[in-house]
Amino acid sequence: MSMRFAAWRETLTGYAFISPFLLGFLIFTAFPIAASLYLSFTDYNLFSPPSWVGLEQYQTMFTGDPKFWKSLRVTFIYVFAGVPLRLSFALLVALLLNRASRAIGVYRTVYYLPSIIGGSVAVSIMWRNLYGDEGVINKALNFFGLESVRWFADPLAALWMLITLSVWQFGSSMLIFLAGLKNIPPSLYEAASVDGANVLQRFIRITMPMLTPVVLFNLIMQTIAAFMTFIPAYIISKGEGGPLDGTLLYSLYLFRRAFVFYDMGYAAAMAWVLLAIVALLTALVFFTSKYWVFYETKED
Amino acid sequence: MLLLTALLAIALAACGGGAKSGGGGGNGGEGSPQASGNASGGSSDGSSGGGTKDPEPVTLRVAWWGSQPRHDYTLQVIEMYQQKYPHVKIEPEYANFDDYWKKLAPQAAANDLPDIIQMDISYISQYGGNGQLEDLTPYLGSIINIDHISENAISGGKIGDKLYGFNIGVNTIQFQYDPELLKRLGVDTLDENWTWDDYYELAGKASEAGLYFDSGFRPEVFFGYYLRTKGQHLYSPDGTSLGYDDDQLFIDFFAPLAKLVADGDAPTPDVKAQVKGLEDDLLVKGQQVGIWQWTNQFVALQQVANRPLEMHHMPGPNREQGLYLKPSMYFSISKNSKHKEEAARFIDFWVNDIEANKLIKGDRGVPVNSQVIEAVKPTLDPALVKVFDYVAWAQENSSPMDPPDPPGAAEVIALFKEVTEAMDFGKLSPEDAAKRFREEANAILAKNK
Repeated sequence: MSMRFAAWRETLTGYAFISPFLLGFLIFTAFPIAASLYLSFTDYNLFSPPSWVGLEQYQTMFTGDPKFWKSLRVTFIYVFAGVPLRLSFALLVALLLNRASRAIGVYRTVYYLPSIIGGSVAVSIMWRNLYGDEGVINKALNFFGLESVRWFADPLAALWMLITLSVWQFGSSMLIFLAGLKNIPPSLYEAASVDGANVLQRFIRITMPMLTPVVLFNLIMQTIAAFMTFIPAYIISKGEGGPLDGTLLYSLYLFRRAFVFYDMGYAAAMAWVLLAIVALLTALVFFTSKYWVFYETKED
Repeated sequence: MLLLTALLAIALAACGGGAKSGGGGGNGGEGSPQASGNASGGSSDGSSGGGTKDPEPVTLRVAWWGSQPRHDYTLQVIEMYQQKYPHVKIEPEYANFDDYWKKLAPQAAANDLPDIIQMDISYISQYGGNGQLEDLTPYLGSIINIDHISENAISGGKIGDKLYGFNIGVNTIQFQYDPELLKRLGVDTLDENWTWDDYYELAGKASEAGLYFDSGFRPEVFFGYYLRTKGQHLYSPDGTSLGYDDDQLFIDFFAPLAKLVADGDAPTPDVKAQVKGLEDDLLVKGQQVGIWQWTNQFVALQQVANRPLEMHHMPGPNREQGLYLKPSMYFSISKNSKHKEEAARFIDFWVNDIEANKLIKGDRGVPVNSQVIEAVKPTLDPALVKVFDYVAWAQENSSPMDPPDPPGAAEVIALFKEVTEAMDFGKLSPEDAAKRFREEANAILAKNK
C-alpha cells in the first residue's frame, strides 16, 4: 500500500515539476489551437457569439475570394525567391568566416547582428527609408548612372524590398552553417589536397555533401519562418499590403481579416489552410531529402 | 512535428484573444442592474460637486486615439481631473487611429473594454449595435450637464433612440491651403462659390508651377459629400446597401481626380505612402498648395507648417445641401464598465469644464458647450479662432448629417482605398472601379440584413 502511494507520489512530483510547461502549453498553445479550429467553422465578428457555418469559410476562401489567391501568390514568390537567396547568402558568409583570423570573433558578431535586430519594427522602418524615392538605394542607383526605381509604386518592386530584408537577416542560418562547416573533418580536405583537388572541387565534392543535413535543417526552418513573415510587410506597407496588394503576405491578409474587418472565423480558417500548405511542403522536402541528403553513418 | 506546433501557436495566437469571449459573454448582464442603481444615486452625488465624504477609490480606464500633441494635453486634462476628484485614478490607453481599433476589438470580445472609449462615427453603430456601449440618455441632465449644449449636437451620437456616444467636438470639411503657393498658380483668391469645374481647372495648373494642388480626397468622406450635393447618400438608411445605384455618380466624381494624378497635379499613391507624418507632409514641405480635410485638423497643420494658412469652402454646386456638421468624435461608456456613473462624470468634466477646455482647445473639434466656446475663444490662437468661426458659419450653411456609418463601414472604407489607389496608379478605369466598388460594397453591407 505504502509502496503504491510512494510511486504515486513520485508521479505527482514529476508532474508538479513539469507543470509550468504543461500549464503554459495547455493554456497558451493547445487551447488556442483547438479554439481556432472550432472558430474556423464559425462566423465570428468578436461582438456576438460565434455561429456555426460548417465549411462555408473554407468554401468562400477557395471559390469567392480573389484576394486569398493574390496573397497566396505574393507569399509563394516571397518564400521561393527569398529562402534560397537567404540560404545561399548565409552559406557564402559562413564560408568566409570559417577561417582562422584574429578578428574572426568580431566579424561573426557583426554579421549576426542583423538577425538579432532584424525582426524588429525599427529595422522595417529603416528599410522603408532606404528604399524611399530619395533614399540611399536610389541615390546609389543614380550614382552609377541608373534611373531611380519607384519601389512603392510597383507591386513586384515593393515585394523585392521585403525579400532583400529577409536575405539580410541571414545570421541564424549562417551560424548553423558555420557549425556544420566546423564539423567536417579536416582530414578529408587534407586527403583531397594531396590528390590534387582544387578549391572548387573540394567545395563540391566534400563541403556540400557533408553539409547537406545542415542544409535540410535550415531549409525547413527558414521556409516555415518565411511563410509566417508578418512584421516587415505590416510596417513597410503601413498595414495595408500595398501598393496594389504587392506586399499582401498571407499572414498580413489574415491579420487584416481578423483585426481590421473583425472576421475571426475566416481568419482562423486561413490559418488552418496555411498550416496545411506548410505541412505539405515540409513533408515534400523530407520525402525528397533521401535523394540529396548525405548522412555519414549510412554506408553505401 | 515540434516545428509545426510552433508554427501553429504563432499563426493562431491571433485567435487566442477571441477564444476568451465564450466564457465572458455573461458578464454584460452584471453591469446593467448596477447601472440603474448608480444613475439614481449619482444625481445627488453629482450635484454636491466634489463629493468630499470619502468616496470609494475608483480606477477608470480612458482610451483614445490621436497623435502626440493630443496625447500630451489629454494627459494634462486627466491630471487636472484627478486633482479635482482625488478618489479617481485614471489609466490612460492611447494609440494612433489604426492601432486603436485593432486593440479595441479584442478588448470588446473579452468584455474588457476601457470605461471611457473615444468613439468614431464609422464604428459607433458596430459597437453600439452589438451591445458593447452604454446608453447615455439616463445620465443626461443628472450627471452630464447639458444646459449649454444643443439638442442637435447631442443627437449626433444616437443610433435609433439610444445615445451610444457623447459628442465631444464638432467638425466640418473644407479646403485648407497656403495662399503664397496658390499665388504661384496665378490666382490670388478662391471664388466664394467655386464649383468642381473651377477646382479641376485650377488644380490642373499645379504641375506647370512645379507643385501638387492637393493630396486627393478621403473617398468615404468627400464622395459622401458629393453624393449629398446630388441628393444621394453613401449608405442606405438601413445600412444594408449603398445609398446610390448609379455608377455614373462614382465616375463623375473620381475620373477627374484620377486625371489630376495622371497629369502630375496630385501625388501618386506611392508618393503619399512615403509621407511618414505631418512633419514631412507635402504641404508642410511647400510642395503642395492645399489639403482637403476636417476643420479640427487645421490647427495641427498650421502649427507644423508654421506659416500663414487659409481655409476655404467646399466646391459646389449645392454646397449647403452637401455640407454637414459632424461629431468629430465621441466619448462612449462601455457596457462592461463597473463605474459608469464616474465615467459619466468624467465626460461631464470634459465637455463642460472651462479650464479643461482651455487645454483641449479645438483639437477634438469645436466644443459643443456654447458657454465653453464663449469663455475659451479669447484665449485661442488666431488659427483656432478661424476654426471656431468657420464651424459657426457652417452651422448656418449646412444640412443635417447622415446617420452614423453602418457596421462593415471599415471594410467599405478599405475597399474604397483599394479601388481609388488602383485608379490613381492607372491600373483600373473609373468605369470598372465604379462597378467593382458598388458590387463588393453592397456584398459587405448585405451582411447587415
